[in-house]
Amino acid sequence: MIQRDVLVVGAGPAGLAASIEAGKAGAAVLLVDLNMQPGGQLFKQIHKFFGSSAHRSGTRGYDIGEQLLREALEAAVEIWMQSTVIGIFPGNKIGIERGMDGKEKELVTVLARKIVIATGASENAIRFKGWTIPGVMGAGAAQTMINVNHVRPGKRVVMLGSGNVGLIVSYQLLQAGCDVAALVEAAPGIGGYAVHAAKIRRAGVPIYTGYTIVEAKKGKDGCVCGCIIAKADDKYDPIPGTEEAIECDAITLAAGLKPVMDLPKLAGCTLTYSSAFGGYIPIHNDRMETSQKGIFTAGDAAGVEEANTALEEGKLAGISAAEELNLISKKKADILRKEIWERLVSLRSGPFGERRLKEKESVLKEYAKRAGIPAAEDQEVEKCH
Amino acid sequence: MNKVYDAVVIGAGAIGTSAAYHLCEKGLKTALLEKGDIAGGSSSHCDAVALICDKLPGIDTKMGQASIDYYMELAKRFDYDFEFDPKGCLYVCETEPEFEAASKYCELQNNDGYALRMVNNEELCQMEPHIAKDLTGALYTPPSGSIAVSPYKVCFAFVEEAKKMGLEVYTYCDIKKINLNGKTNGVESVETNYGTIRTKRIVNCAGAWAPFIGELTGLKIPIEPRKGTNLVSEQTERLCHNKILEYGYMMSKFDSIHFKRKVSPLAEELNVAFNLEYTKANNLLVGGNRLFRSYDIRSEIETMKAIAERALRFYPELADIKCIRTYSGVRPFVIDHLPIVSDVDSIPGYYIAAGHEGDGICFSPITGRFMSQIIAGEETDFDISKLDFARFAS
Repeated sequence: MIQRDVLVVGAGPAGLAASIEAGKAGAAVLLVDLNMQPGGQLFKQIHKFFGSSAHRSGTRGYDIGEQLLREALEAAVEIWMQSTVIGIFPGNKIGIERGMDGKEKELVTVLARKIVIATGASENAIRFKGWTIPGVMGAGAAQTMINVNHVRPGKRVVMLGSGNVGLIVSYQLLQAGCDVAALVEAAPGIGGYAVHAAKIRRAGVPIYTGYTIVEAKKGKDGCVCGCIIAKADDKYDPIPGTEEAIECDAITLAAGLKPVMDLPKLAGCTLTYSSAFGGYIPIHNDRMETSQKGIFTAGDAAGVEEANTALEEGKLAGISAAEELNLISKKKADILRKEIWERLVSLRSGPFGERRLKEKESVLKEYAKRAGIPAAEDQEVEKCH
Repeated sequence: MNKVYDAVVIGAGAIGTSAAYHLCEKGLKTALLEKGDIAGGSSSHCDAVALICDKLPGIDTKMGQASIDYYMELAKRFDYDFEFDPKGCLYVCETEPEFEAASKYCELQNNDGYALRMVNNEELCQMEPHIAKDLTGALYTPPSGSIAVSPYKVCFAFVEEAKKMGLEVYTYCDIKKINLNGKTNGVESVETNYGTIRTKRIVNCAGAWAPFIGELTGLKIPIEPRKGTNLVSEQTERLCHNKILEYGYMMSKFDSIHFKRKVSPLAEELNVAFNLEYTKANNLLVGGNRLFRSYDIRSEIETMKAIAERALRFYPELADIKCIRTYSGVRPFVIDHLPIVSDVDSIPGYYIAAGHEGDGICFSPITGRFMSQIIAGEETDFDISKLDFARFAS
């Protein structure tokens, strides 16, 4: 069994930011991630970041990733890639399977004084006839294929879902040389930003709002060879008699993300359901500490948002963990947290952001109520906004 | 709500659901109260077999055999499929001394008429081609004394079949108080979050939680939670055809029987003994151990490692099979390793069927039948005075 001050699970923007802050403060930080490269989703984000007053708007995701990796290196963060956390056990013991299939693998137990869970989110699936046929995949998976692995998921793709992910990935599929046969959206209007939708429209992608996918068709090779779409009623159910066939060899689903809750559940964190944040999330305070003392969360695992908010939340978690380890004074930590919260409030503005800002406030309130912190601190939570 | 029942059963695990079923069969208007969901406690955190060969000779084995025979009958009679699967069992012996001890046990059971037999190394390797080649032999129990069922489905089967006879089920039911008659001290009513339920008979089938129900009427029920852990493998081809256990398992179960095993300090400390079975979906269940950890059923990484290590000694090929999850549950432990299936002298109308430790699934059908016979004032199928609660009176 090895010991570390802080164990961070997930090397995306939140986990990297938490590791950097705790590492800079002098903590012995171990950052683990099951992927081959750190950076989470950043390295597939070839587009420039957008947003109103976001401090990194105009920067491309992979550039942010490179910068974070440099900072992590400077902060002496120990990074284990291809390492899967299999559980958080009584006594803050973490089981890590280190190494990939087919190679040398070992099960390492780490005793960590503080834990940061930054496991991100997973894609939601949509079930229709044939949804398990090879060629049906998440839009995020398709994005990884084209932008990270440089493999096209198909020649002719049908995208379901017109949120920002659906719109951006459709455009990136076009850039990668795929034909986007249709963008299908069950709601009456486009879900994401108009600026992204306009790009798709200009490129000539047929947009079917008020439609849904009824069935994926299986070809002779056992893979997708087309799909049937139909008009959707107000419950998003297909209306019989309105079916249309579209030829395609890949169907990508952009149906939103949900926080990955396996580890918080195993650790016994109290969860709450939040539709604005994509599903169940651990209740947490303004320091990103969950109902389990010494276990922090950040990023999409604490509510699905975007890379910038994940970065800021990661910093909060890293600073607060370092503070609990007496590596940062309370005074300094308070100042840093105040600055971060100011940035978070500005990031959570605009039509999409305000809903998340309100929701985050209610999560903090729920923490104050359910995790039973003293009333005086409860008021401080309120002041942070 | 002010409901009246002939009998109220507390606890909807393998024992309580069976008791409820059998009470309905006797024509009693019965309610089943459960603090969580059906099969939400030990009956969904266990393994899936019913054996006679893990029982001590005598009443333990007799009840086991009667229950297995009864399972066979229920599998035919019930509309609800509880995945009854007659599969044999091999108690494998690592060393000569273990083999000798197993042979003695086998002889005792043979004398009582049970068809167990010893198999040597050669026959063992034929029966189980994937097993380690260096084992001395095994104690074999044919399917007549060794079966598997789905423990969840057993509970649901009893509930669904009993509903046809009028059973009423209250899940997520908090029992706040049990009222006794001021004069007779007999059972009068149960106060719950559903309101007061009037009844003259309650059956405490709360397993490891039976002491908490006992406390409500000042009864001290000597049951302790004892934790057991299983690993679950990915789906795989059938590595084993029988239920496989190491004979040392007897040791972890009955402290009175001692064999010196060649195990690592970790396996020794964590009281680990190998057992293996396949499920209907072809995942393997790999066990197991017994530890006192109060009601904490969180998995422990040291236990997981020790179980895996012990399993590899008997099935080296498991090294190439993934463990997809683990689970632990508490077994209701009683010091003399016999359940309590009994009335309670001090409280007329109060009955207990609990404390089966790792035998709840095995003993489920027969325990329910016994309980209904006791409550109906009939003679039980055979003498179960050893299971009387009064044995703890001193």
